[in-house]
This record gives sequence, C-alpha cells and structure tokens, in this order.
Amino acid sequence: MTWNFQKSLLIVTTIAPMALVQHGWAHGPSRQKVTETITIDAPPAKVWAAIANFQDMSWLPGVAKTTGTGGNEPDTAKRQLTLDSGATIDESLYKYDAGEMSYSYRIDTVDVKVLPVNNYSATITVLPADGGKSTVEWRGAFYRGYPNNDPPPELNDEAGIKAVTAIYRKGLENLKQKVEAAK
Amino acid sequence: MKRWRAAKAAAIGAAICASGAFCGAASAAEAFITDQTGDEVSVLDLGLKHVVARIPVLGKPAGIAMARDGRTAYVTSTEGKYVSVIDTASRRIASKIAMPDTPLGIAIDPEGRYLYVAGFYVPRLYKIDLSTSTIVATMEVGASPSGVALTPDGTLIVTADRDDNQISIIEAKTFSRTGTVKVGKHPFGVTIDPQGERVYAANVESNDVSVVDLKTAKLLGTVAVGKRPYAIAVAKGRGFSTDQYGGTVSVFDLSTLQPVKRISVGDYPEGIETSADGNSVYVVNWFSNEVWAINAETLAVTAKMPVGDGPRAFGTFLRETL
Repeated sequence: MTWNFQKSLLIVTTIAPMALVQHGWAHGPSRQKVTETITIDAPPAKVWAAIANFQDMSWLPGVAKTTGTGGNEPDTAKRQLTLDSGATIDESLYKYDAGEMSYSYRIDTVDVKVLPVNNYSATITVLPADGGKSTVEWRGAFYRGYPNNDPPPELNDEAGIKAVTAIYRKGLENLKQKVEAAK
Repeated sequence: MKRWRAAKAAAIGAAICASGAFCGAASAAEAFITDQTGDEVSVLDLGLKHVVARIPVLGKPAGIAMARDGRTAYVTSTEGKYVSVIDTASRRIASKIAMPDTPLGIAIDPEGRYLYVAGFYVPRLYKIDLSTSTIVATMEVGASPSGVALTPDGTLIVTADRDDNQISIIEAKTFSRTGTVKVGKHPFGVTIDPQGERVYAANVESNDVSVVDLKTAKLLGTVAVGKRPYAIAVAKGRGFSTDQYGGTVSVFDLSTLQPVKRISVGDYPEGIETSADGNSVYVVNWFSNEVWAINAETLAVTAKMPVGDGPRAFGTFLRETL
C-alpha cells in the first residue's frame, strides 16, 4: 500500500537537469484544483474522529511517521510527514473547525521530486450522507511543480493533478477500509 | 459544497423570490467572468442570476477590464501572450492583441482609448492604443506586476508590484512613474476609490490591506483581513477584501480602517467588484465555481450563481446593459 513517491522521485531526478536549461517566457502557470470524495458507511462523528487529529496522518498510505507541534491550533500547528521513502513534507494548519468537521492546511516545504506541486493548500471535510453514512471530501489547490514556462512533463499541470489525485484516492480508500472495519 | 451553505443559499433565494423584489426583474447588468480552468468567459446575467452565454477564450484567461460603456471587455490569457477583445453584446471575440510577455493585470482608461496591461515575468506596463491595437509605450515597473488600476479621471495608473512589496504610481499623460510606495507582503489586487484619492492593495502574504493616499504617495494605514487576500472592492464607505484561504470577505470601515465583519463566502474567493449603483458587491469564488452577491449595506448574501470552472475575474468585470 505505498503510493509512488519513489517512482516519481526516480522519474523527476532524470528530468530536472533538463528543466534548468529551459527558460522561455511562453507560458505562465495557472492554479490547479483537485476534489476527491468517498462515501463511508459510518456516522460523520466516527469518521471525523479518525482524521480529526492533525498530528496523525497514519491513515494515509505511504506515511511512515507524523511528528509535529501545536496540536490542532490554526496558525500554530505544524506537522512533518515522513514517507516510507524517507522523504519529508512540512505542513501547517490554517483552519480548523471541529463543529464543521473540517480542517485546512498548506504545504510549507516539499521537494517537487517528492510531490510535483508548489503553493499547495488543501481542505478535508466530513459531511453527512444519506442513510447515516458519511462523505469525506478532500480538496487541493496548487500550482505545478515547475514554476516557470515550458515545464517538463513530470512537472507540468497534468503531473501535479495526477499525483495529488492519486494521494487523495489512496488516502480516502484506506480511511474507508479502516473506519468500516472498526465498526 | 457544504450542505449548510447550499441550504442557506436556497433559503435566501426563496426569501428574495417571495418578496418579489428581484424575481423576474428586467436584466440590467451582466458579469463577464474569466473561467481560467475552463478556458472560457461566462456571461452571467445578474438579473436572471444564471449564465446566459459562454465565450471560448483560450490560454487560461484571468484578468479582465471592462470598458466604461460596457461594450467591450479585454481579457488577459496567462498561458497565452495575448489580450482578447470581446464584443460584449454579440458575445464574440472581435480581435486579439499580441503581447510580448505573459499578461495578467489589465485596466482601461475612462475614454476607452488606452489599455494598460502588466507583463508578469519581464516586469513592464504596456500602453496599448485601442484605435490601432498596438503597444505605443512600455515602462518598467516593480517585480511581478499583478493588479493594475486607474483613477476615475484617468490621470493616474497604479500597479501592484507583487515581488517588490510595493505599488507604483504612474502619471498616465507622460506615462512615467511618479512614485512607489512600500505596502505589505505580496500585493496582488489594487483598487482605487471612486473619489480617486486612495489606493487599496490586498497583500496576499501579510494578510492585510494597505491604504495609500495617492496625492501624497504615503501609506495611510494597514487593515488586518482574512487569510490570503486577493482583491478589494469599495462600497458604502467600506472596503471588502476576498480572502482566498479564509473563504471569507473581510469588511472594514474606510474612515476608521477598523474591521467591521467577516462574511463566509464560497471557496477561494478572488475577483470582487461593486455594482454601478453601489448597492451590491459581487464575489467570484475560484474553487467552488460561483459568483456570490452581497448587499453592501446589510452585508447579507443575496445570491449565489454558478459559473464555469476556475473563475478568477481579476479586474473589472461588470457592465450595465440597460
């Protein structure tokens, strides 16, 4: 159950030196967005309980360890995800609403070789669904990994969307399994 | 979309229709919304409250300047190097103006004679003569110029020089810079008040709005707003900032520069503009693909209207049709 951090690392490492020589002004990047949802057969409060701790990303496959400070306090809380590959992602919390069962965070530091995005922010929310079930919605907004014009394929808009979508799918599917198994 | 928001909006809509104040009213205004992800401009009828036309505009359109007479809209494409000239009545692209650099911010003078376009990567402001559709002058401004605005009398131009944390003040007649003013971190949208006296700059990274006196080129004050403010509108003696991360519009008093209220809106609000009568503020929500209307007096949300994908509407996007 590991997603392809290692794989993308390998691909991007070979591409990066090429990227440095390309520096045209032909195209500027635009912000991209990804929304993924899943229905979980459990009440919202129970699903929220599984993700409510900003300091625990154990439900996301590929994350080996979460360390951080500041609990769930917006503008204070920070966390570092250590991936199975050993790479790290530093994130901070900027919105947290237990009543709405939603929190928002941004990535402060990540190597584009690990996740090919820049200026990434995301919101995860648990919503009530029909029949006492829950819907979890994960939304991300970001720029591609290559900030200038003429990106190499591994750092273009599509690559960013693909990588973020894959993480959200894996995370949501694993969360579903975990919560429904604990029923 | 959060359920409570949808339910609330539906309730608001029903209340408006029951009162008869807006339902079926003759169309008097339209919003031209640049849907960046969708590569189009949505024409939103603000009376009917729905999109009545979609104009394909390639190259990830973002910035927009509406001519004062409402007959022409000028749209910048951030992944193209051109400005699309849109005939608003026929909903057609009349022509395209080639640009030497990626254009973003754009503004038009009151007479509709000159267009001012910021080139984002090689920091320049371009002056385009609209009678010939050619660039007639170019000047250097600060790094990563974003928003562009003109005083209502057309004498002064202001640019938000994002990466230099400043605004540039430019005399339109001589097309020369008369001053720069340091503002907050990463100013993006700039708005000049109807009196032509003050500039409001939304500082994305310092989460505040800088208020600058144009005549003296001095910073008058700074107002704390929600997270990642993008652009500003002024109406009824108040300022309104779109806070992208906050998902709010922050309202502040223009005389005291004190916060008044934060209004929850859609996700990642960006473009914002006051209606011609000064009674409504229209907010463009990038993530949730909607334009919301706010009553500038009561600060109540009065409408929520779907548009195309990834709307930004960075600039002036409203026109009167009657």
